[in-house]
Amino acid sequence: MEQPVTAAIIEDHPVVTEGVASWIRSDPGQRVRLVQTARDLTGFRAMPQPSADVVILDLELSGELVITQIPGLVAAGCRVVAFSGHSDPAIVMETLDSGAHAYVSKEEGREHLVEAVLAAAADRPYVTRSQARAMLADQSPARPALSQQEQQALLLWFQGMSKASVGRRMSISENTVRQYISRARAKYAATGRTAPSKDALLARAIEDGVVRPDEIIPYQSFARTAADQPSPGAPGR
Amino acid sequence: MTAVQPRTPQPRTGPPGTPPPGTPPPGTLPSGTLPPTAMMSGRYQRAFTVAVVVLVAGWHLAGAGGQLLRDRPAYGSFAFQGAMWLAMALAITAGSVLVLRGAPGWRLAWAVALVALVASTAAAAASPAGQMLAVNWAWGSAGWTGVLVLLRRRFGELAWFLAAEAVATLGVQAGDGLHRTDLAGFLAVLAWSTGAQVAVAAGVRALDAAAGQAAAAARSEHAARERAATAEIIQAARHARWLALQESAVPLIAELAAGTADPGDAQVRIRCAVQAARLRRLLAEGDQAPGSLVHELHASADVAERRGVAIEIETAGLLPQVPGRARRVITDAAIAILTAARSHARITLAAVADGIAVSFVADTGMAVRLPEAGDGVAIEQQQDDGTIWAEARWNSR
Repeated sequence: MEQPVTAAIIEDHPVVTEGVASWIRSDPGQRVRLVQTARDLTGFRAMPQPSADVVILDLELSGELVITQIPGLVAAGCRVVAFSGHSDPAIVMETLDSGAHAYVSKEEGREHLVEAVLAAAADRPYVTRSQARAMLADQSPARPALSQQEQQALLLWFQGMSKASVGRRMSISENTVRQYISRARAKYAATGRTAPSKDALLARAIEDGVVRPDEIIPYQSFARTAADQPSPGAPGR
Repeated sequence: MTAVQPRTPQPRTGPPGTPPPGTPPPGTLPSGTLPPTAMMSGRYQRAFTVAVVVLVAGWHLAGAGGQLLRDRPAYGSFAFQGAMWLAMALAITAGSVLVLRGAPGWRLAWAVALVALVASTAAAAASPAGQMLAVNWAWGSAGWTGVLVLLRRRFGELAWFLAAEAVATLGVQAGDGLHRTDLAGFLAVLAWSTGAQVAVAAGVRALDAAAGQAAAAARSEHAARERAATAEIIQAARHARWLALQESAVPLIAELAAGTADPGDAQVRIRCAVQAARLRRLLAEGDQAPGSLVHELHASADVAERRGVAIEIETAGLLPQVPGRARRVITDAAIAILTAARSHARITLAAVADGIAVSFVADTGMAVRLPEAGDGVAIEQQQDDGTIWAEARWNSR
């Protein structure tokens, strides 16, 4: 049996922390172990390092959005899964662009949080329905070009179908559905500002055969030319 | 799974008597709209301004210019008089440009007026002694220039200007010696010239006021027509709602009252739930809520929510406006599915190329009879172990 993935949670409401802990406990495989809880970022930083494999971060701590703190956490080596009551596509996009591995809204926590933590620990993409929604709604000029299949898989996933149903609907296997959705996520990781978490996610996606390196070439040249600026335009693919 | 080709979408406005449900937002009323009345009144005012410009320029060219040429031998220095005439002409040109471009501020208006006043006084002062009034071309032009630039300012300003002009001319005359005949001549010119100028200024003000009144009358007529058109639309929408109830809820209520429908029967309860949801939707259609499809879906979901079904409604992207008939088809599908939902349902609205995809995922446990596709809406469904997925896709083309 594999070692369980360790997780930390930064959450200002104890009742939410309690709820997350219970979701983690009720996972049949006991694949995640909650090892640290902090009520704010200062408390988290004060904890003995190295910290957990994955940090579950409530985006709103004491009434303030902490999205701007994500790059710092990521640079310090944390894999961040954002967990938030917000589902506004703009906030979702900004969070992912800041280097969070996944975005889980509080409504979808029970269904998706454990899976998102596991995916983040392995640097694999995970796309919740709120993420799919944000990708579908994205109109920014820097957005990556998604194929029609990727769009359709994202749309059906956002609509609420299971991945198996999406596969039936599109006459493809469930695995291919995952592939399409993961590829869309990887394409997003190749745009916008650079972050070690995005590099790790892309490297893993290439290793897993989710994307081919040539599908994200613009990202590599971009990473070389512009260090930390927002993308000036959409990559070629 | 049923896939039906969408019919050509209906235009938004139907034939009389069958208007789209819900009233359009204000400002989209049909025919009978007049051009903005402020513009109309503005057009008249501009015409009056042009008339005054022509009058003043004509006076200076023909009247003052003619006199200048006729009395040429009398002046001590014709060149000086000519220069003053040109200065006045420039002031009139500048004043015309100012008033044609809009009402000038007091600084510019008075700057032009003072140039005219100085030029006319200088011309008068340079006239030969004893003949000043006889050969004076400048008094009239200066007065008209004042009328031109002060036309739409307070009447007192023009009065002050004309008085200053008269006093300046009288001062020059006094310097020459003020005989009784000179005074009589002065008063005669004052009465004729200044009187005409005051009359024109007063006339234009009266015409401005009349144009304003005409515009106000047209505005109120326009508003009345708009109100009538709105009332007609509301009336038609009410009628359409009443008709819709006649064919759906009323027979059911009649059956319940007559005892032919048994409330204990599950089928009857489903029919009741559907009709209750439709009634809510009918009320929602009358509301002028922004994003009306979302609003109507919320209303359609209300009855199921009261039944304890957890319903989430989410949107993705900037949703297009969907015409009333297409909204009906979509909300009918929503009602059919939500009525059959057991514990939860998810409704999503996503902007897609050329339209909108409204989808429903619910644990109905069975296939649901969905409304006929039409009015640009295509409907599809898929059944996966107890869960239904259905999508109503409206295409704007």
